[in-house]
Amino acid sequence: MSVLDLSAAPQPPLSATRRVGVVLIALVAALSLLGPLIVQGDPYAQSLMKALAGPDAAAPLGYDHLGRSVFHRLAYALRLSPVIALAAVMTAGAAGLALGTLSAAKGGWIDRCLVMLADALLALPGLLLILMVLAMVPGTALGFWAGLSLVLWVEFFRLTRAATRETLASPAVQASRLLGFGAAYVFRVHIWPEIAPMMLTAAAFGTATAIMAIAALGFVHVGMRAPTPELGLMMVELLPYWREAPLALLAPVLATFALLLGLTLLAGSRKT
Amino acid sequence: MSLLQADDITVRDGTTTLLAPVSLRLDPGEPLVVLGETGSGKSLLAQALMGTLPLGLEAKGQVTIGAQVLNSGAPDQFRGLWGREISVLPQEPWLSLDPLMRAQAQIAEGHCLVRGLPPREARIRAASDLSELGLADAAARYPHELSGGMAQRVAIAAARAGGARIVIADEPTKGLDAARRDEVANLLLNEMGQSGGLLIITHDLALAERIGGQLIVLRAGEVVERGATRAVFAAPGQSYTRDLLAANPENWTGKAAAAPAGTAVISSRNLSLARGRRTLFRDVSLDIAAGQVFGVTGPSGCGKSSLGDTLLGVIPPLQGQVQRQPGLHPFAFQKLYQDPVAAFPPRRTIGETLMDVVKMTRSDPRDVDRLLDGLGLQPDLLARRPGAVSGGELQRLSLLRVLLRRPAFIFADEPTSRLDPITQARVIKLLTNATESDGIALMLVSHDQALIRNTADAVLPLTPPCDPARAAAKKRVAIALQ
Amino acid sequence: MSAIVSRLVQALMVAILIGTATFVMMRSLPGDAAWRIAAGRYGYDNVDAAAADAVRAELGLDGPAHMALLQWLGDLVRLDFGNSLVTGQPVVDEIAHQLGASASLALVAVLLSLVIGPPLGILAGLRPGGRLDRALLVTSTGIKAVPQFLVALVLIVILAVQLRWLPAAGHGAARHFILPSLTLALGLAAVNARIARDAMARIADMPFWRFAQWKGLSERQTLLRHGLRNVSVPLITYLGLQFVTLVEGVIIVESVFGWPGIGHALVHAIFSRDVPMVQGTALVLGLGFVLVNAAIDLAIRHLDPRTAA
Repeated sequence: MSVLDLSAAPQPPLSATRRVGVVLIALVAALSLLGPLIVQGDPYAQSLMKALAGPDAAAPLGYDHLGRSVFHRLAYALRLSPVIALAAVMTAGAAGLALGTLSAAKGGWIDRCLVMLADALLALPGLLLILMVLAMVPGTALGFWAGLSLVLWVEFFRLTRAATRETLASPAVQASRLLGFGAAYVFRVHIWPEIAPMMLTAAAFGTATAIMAIAALGFVHVGMRAPTPELGLMMVELLPYWREAPLALLAPVLATFALLLGLTLLAGSRKT
Repeated sequence: MSLLQADDITVRDGTTTLLAPVSLRLDPGEPLVVLGETGSGKSLLAQALMGTLPLGLEAKGQVTIGAQVLNSGAPDQFRGLWGREISVLPQEPWLSLDPLMRAQAQIAEGHCLVRGLPPREARIRAASDLSELGLADAAARYPHELSGGMAQRVAIAAARAGGARIVIADEPTKGLDAARRDEVANLLLNEMGQSGGLLIITHDLALAERIGGQLIVLRAGEVVERGATRAVFAAPGQSYTRDLLAANPENWTGKAAAAPAGTAVISSRNLSLARGRRTLFRDVSLDIAAGQVFGVTGPSGCGKSSLGDTLLGVIPPLQGQVQRQPGLHPFAFQKLYQDPVAAFPPRRTIGETLMDVVKMTRSDPRDVDRLLDGLGLQPDLLARRPGAVSGGELQRLSLLRVLLRRPAFIFADEPTSRLDPITQARVIKLLTNATESDGIALMLVSHDQALIRNTADAVLPLTPPCDPARAAAKKRVAIALQ
Repeated sequence: MSAIVSRLVQALMVAILIGTATFVMMRSLPGDAAWRIAAGRYGYDNVDAAAADAVRAELGLDGPAHMALLQWLGDLVRLDFGNSLVTGQPVVDEIAHQLGASASLALVAVLLSLVIGPPLGILAGLRPGGRLDRALLVTSTGIKAVPQFLVALVLIVILAVQLRWLPAAGHGAARHFILPSLTLALGLAAVNARIARDAMARIADMPFWRFAQWKGLSERQTLLRHGLRNVSVPLITYLGLQFVTLVEGVIIVESVFGWPGIGHALVHAIFSRDVPMVQGTALVLGLGFVLVNAAIDLAIRHLDPRTAA
């Protein structure tokens, strides 16, 4: 091996597939945030005269079975679950990162207890936990945030713990410690650069999981309540009218798919 | 008639020539050794002869095996020869056996599927292969239950089961200590016998000397010298070959008689150490004085590295004490690693990492330039990451980083075992010069007895711990002798 | 040995978690919990203040919370799950009734996914970067990005509504299995295929794979003798972890297709705040995970002698 072979250029921050993912997410975000500014309207306003009517100037995607603008309901729905998902991912990420490094650095009983808790949560289907939390916490959005955070932190915890343990056992960290560097330096220089790329992947996957969970529970009528515009709820409401108003059903389906595909592509390969 | 003849083998990567035309012939009963350092193209030559070059590399030239004439530019032609005409010994035998299959089955499948024996007979042949190699009781073991040496013998039997007469061995002694190296050499010569062909690719001078036969010395894709191994070793014709032979630790000039040692910088009393339930060593007492080179040698797994880590306080001892000379600052005890790449933060440039040490120790940044100069390093290396620097340079940069801490003691853990001979000689020289001139106590650990013998002022040989597999093998030999 | 102990600890932790969570759920219910439990036991018509008081005293509902929690967990340990608050039937009977329907659906789905996913993955992994590999990557990424209810929706719209080939809902005949099990299997296969592909590609890059070919084995012989067994180890390990995904899928798919299984029952129980049923079903699902993974631990031990050491 010559030296030149080894000195490959540093990895670009985003691969081609990840860039496609970012573009998809940006498109969905633009639809949701800018759309209602260009065509103004109310996601809740009913007009039974226009039930299941096709697109017009006030409603670019037509009307649902209650005569509400699908475009404005979709734009609102595309804000609701991503915001809940992001809040949950941030909470879970912060908790997982803190507990994971703590567990790896301290070891002993703290480590054993946290691993035991994480293993038990891992054995439970996420949707089950979310449903149980929803039944306890007043307010559906708050319940989703709490339930999703409870489900998602485990993955962050496991990743952080594994990577930190491996890094702490490496000769590089041993050398730094022998030279006299402290815990803050070890975290900043050795641990964080190992964890950071994984955190992005886990966060993108976590957001996708969260959005899927909110939509899935909406679809089976145990998530967000009508008349809140929510992706899964919109789909199940419009499913019976598929033959009369295919566009009204396709719009949330395609938007959800684009958003989730974007997040999956952004997450990239799980290999580390 | 020769077993294998290769004419004008070239390997190119696009427009870059990696291997200039090389011709060679392999005769029955006369081994051929291809000797070269990393990047000399010796492995490419072997791959071109076997049709296993990585995709993207292009070979040219003619290979004649028995009555068959093959074009090394068309690797598919070679596939049918594997196992039947050519058998290949892998570099790392313990990784080359299927971890989920018992030893005997891995040999029997060659007899059955390649040589075409019925399954029952194949099993009997495999069992007799194993007992010939002294491995009769390993038949039902899985690879992880074999020692390194046993795995090597199983791999040889498996490679030969198809009935090939030609053996190509690529670095067969990678990572082995001297005793095991000679064992492998004898085994390979035995397998070759009078009628077989043996081609050995290596950077190991001791192995080449032991194998004998014919020798080709490669450097940067070109043949430097060729001839009978014994003749070339006795009187090398080219300056590169002379340098290469001089770099063999066996040929280093021994150390001048050491001045009497002063007060110990670090010492241990009755140190015992265990890994898991296994005791590595007992009652080790030692004193290492300023400016002294203290050598520790022994086979792998004997606890050499763990002894150093215990002196540094990284591993707690089972029993006994470690004492540091009073008055030294707590970070005056440093370590050099076997794999320097793993000892640097991978995503920072080396310059950044060194500046971190300068800042923390509040030293003069010009110290870095002074040390770079003293260690013969180019300043532009500082802009690179650890993975983009050659092993020899990175080990010198590790030494530089450690010297910035103004150490009183350095534990060098196999610091040159992954380096080529010429680089190894240079790094050891720089290391011992630096520690002697700065009055640093150096503990040098190596599996290479010659290196330690010719470098150290005092030597601690560690004996292997009691290993059940080894004990069993010893017992059998003893019985055979009676 | 230690593997069994850690699975037992996991099972215990699962039981404590679920017990505690359902206890909190019970306490946070609006209205008089004791009354509701008594109604579950004796039927709404037979409940009076005395019966409710008896329940309250038994469960310590009017005492301090930690005593009540211990009482609650004690019932759990004695496998006394109580009666459904909705039907009044013992929870154990209800679950025994539904478990079969769910298990048969899940089994069909897993088998279907194993027929689709791993063979494609192994073929793709033998030629990394090849045409099949790239096609599989695109397809599996696409499917993974589609939530299972959406797969169900698309299958219903195409196969049931548009083409009218299959029933959208129902239970009993073999054809009722097709849509729900296909919905589950597609999602599982997308992941199975990736796992098998990555494992195969990794194994085909290992020294022992090359050595097998150097010994003279053909590619087919190498795959059969050294490939499949080695690929199966990570694949089976992963199947155990996939159990959670499978259960989540079952919860959704049963609700969408009206499949009378445990997932459907769970959603109903949550909806109607039937706490004993929630506790029972959650416990069955959580312990099911532990049991399946314990079985997989044993299978892996058998397949891979390194793990047994």
